[in-house]
Amino acid sequence: MTYLSFDTVTKRYGKTEVVQPFDLDVAEGELVAFLGPSGCGKTTLMRMVGGLEAPSSGCIMLRGEALTRPDRRRGMVFQSYSAFPWLTVAGNVAYGMRYRSDLSAAEKRDQVAHFLDLVGLTAFADEWPNRISGGMRQRVAIARTLAAGSDILLMDEPFGALDAQRREFLQLELRRIQIDEGKTVIFVTHDVEEAAFLADRVIVFTRRPARILAEVDVTARIGASRTLEMREGSGFFALRNELLHHVRSTASQEEDAV
Amino acid sequence: MPGQKAIIGTASTLALLLVWELVSRSGMVQDKFLPAPSTVLYTLGSMIYGRDLLYHAGISTLRVWSAFLMAAAMAVPIGILVGSFRPVGAALEPIVDFIRYLPVPALVPLSIIWFGVGEGTKIFLLWLGTFFQLVLLVADDVRRVPVEYHEAAMTVGAPGWRRLTDVSLPAMLPTLVDNMRITLGWCWTYLIIAEIVAANSGLGFVIWQARRFFQTPEVMAGVVTIGIIGLATDQLARALHRRWFGYLTR
Ligand SMILES: Nc1ncnc2c1ncn2[C@@H]1O[C@H](COP(=O)(O)OP(=O)(O)OP(=O)(O)O)[C@@H](O)[C@H]1O
Ligand SMILES: [Mg+2]
Repeated sequence: MTYLSFDTVTKRYGKTEVVQPFDLDVAEGELVAFLGPSGCGKTTLMRMVGGLEAPSSGCIMLRGEALTRPDRRRGMVFQSYSAFPWLTVAGNVAYGMRYRSDLSAAEKRDQVAHFLDLVGLTAFADEWPNRISGGMRQRVAIARTLAAGSDILLMDEPFGALDAQRREFLQLELRRIQIDEGKTVIFVTHDVEEAAFLADRVIVFTRRPARILAEVDVTARIGASRTLEMREGSGFFALRNELLHHVRSTASQEEDAV
Repeated sequence: MPGQKAIIGTASTLALLLVWELVSRSGMVQDKFLPAPSTVLYTLGSMIYGRDLLYHAGISTLRVWSAFLMAAAMAVPIGILVGSFRPVGAALEPIVDFIRYLPVPALVPLSIIWFGVGEGTKIFLLWLGTFFQLVLLVADDVRRVPVEYHEAAMTVGAPGWRRLTDVSLPAMLPTLVDNMRITLGWCWTYLIIAEIVAANSGLGFVIWQARRFFQTPEVMAGVVTIGIIGLATDQLARALHRRWFGYLTR
């Protein structure tokens, strides 16, 4: 049985069609990147997987069971900053584990330290979110979601506000977590390079209403393991260019529409 | 700079008092209508001994706070329910909205019929004037909590009712405290009305007594006392706000 599947999912807001009948199967432990023009419906799709929005028709199923409401199995890193201003940085990360009964209090403390270290915020553990930069706040939200220990990670442009170095580091870490812990990840990005480097499979979307324009199996092309050296290799380069072409064709669609 | 703000505030107040003092002393207006600030201050001092001013101020403060706390203790949970659950809001909001628009003074006679002229009437009028307003303010505060915060809580597994305490309450607390501070100010307005109409104690009573004998300095001293209490409470509330919610400032 497929792990996560979109079954002829559509979404309309009033008269605006945001998602056209959409079908996609995601395997357990797979990292799928959504690449598409702004406003095409990527966030909407993610929110439907998270159970925060209901499809207008069709359904999204996890192991054959329709997903209707949010729960801890599907963690979400939001596109906008969602760190709680009334909790410290460490408090926010700890909140991710508040409803986990599989960890003892001591284990939770260790995990907070671990995830703070992972996102490079150990020195800011006791700081308030309003007093750190936007990129740091986004890292707080990432750490909080990772701490929740969800099976499926829904990440909506999570690294957009980060500097190149931190971004590269977290890309590798995310890939490691995905492989080591068998997490399934859906990752929205505007960055072609990021999609090619991170994903097992890249889905390129058309402009709104979202349909699949192209599907590129990255792992079949360059393998599952990713290293920084690969980024300079010719295989990666060809892949990146191919994705870029697809993305460009969505831009020319835009011109046609005008 | 907060220091600079305080200096400007104090300076402008002193300047106003000085102008007032000069106008009164110059004889442009009769002392009977506008006694000088120094006279008012002197009267205030002598009223502490001669008229039990502190006792009356204490009584008034007690009335304001007991009615206010009662209203707040009821309005906060009800407002949170109204703001969080649509059916509750749909059921209660029209009623609350209607009563909210009734001017409190219009209800004084009814209140006296129901509760007599004792403490009951005063507490009831104050409660009436604040409870319904506060319910709507609290409901609005709850609704204004960014939906991302709720969604973040949901996706880490917080059940619906836990989100009230995990998200709604802490997210709205700063505005709640501000709204309470403002509402407490209204309480004083209603209290003075109540004390003028039906009381033999409290600052409203003192002011009204003084008026009957045309003792303008005493009337003004009573008013100033209310002002001082209001200012002190307000400043205290603001200080606590800064202390508790320091995390909001960058
Ligand atoms: N609640 C809503 N009501 C009405 N329209 C909405 C709503 N949410 C989203 N939309 C519309 O749906 C479309 C898709 O939005 P969505 O946020 O999914 O885009 P996106 O692909 O995530 O874009 P971006 O890359 O800019 O984040 C947009 O045109 C948006 O205006
Ligand atoms: Mg989006």
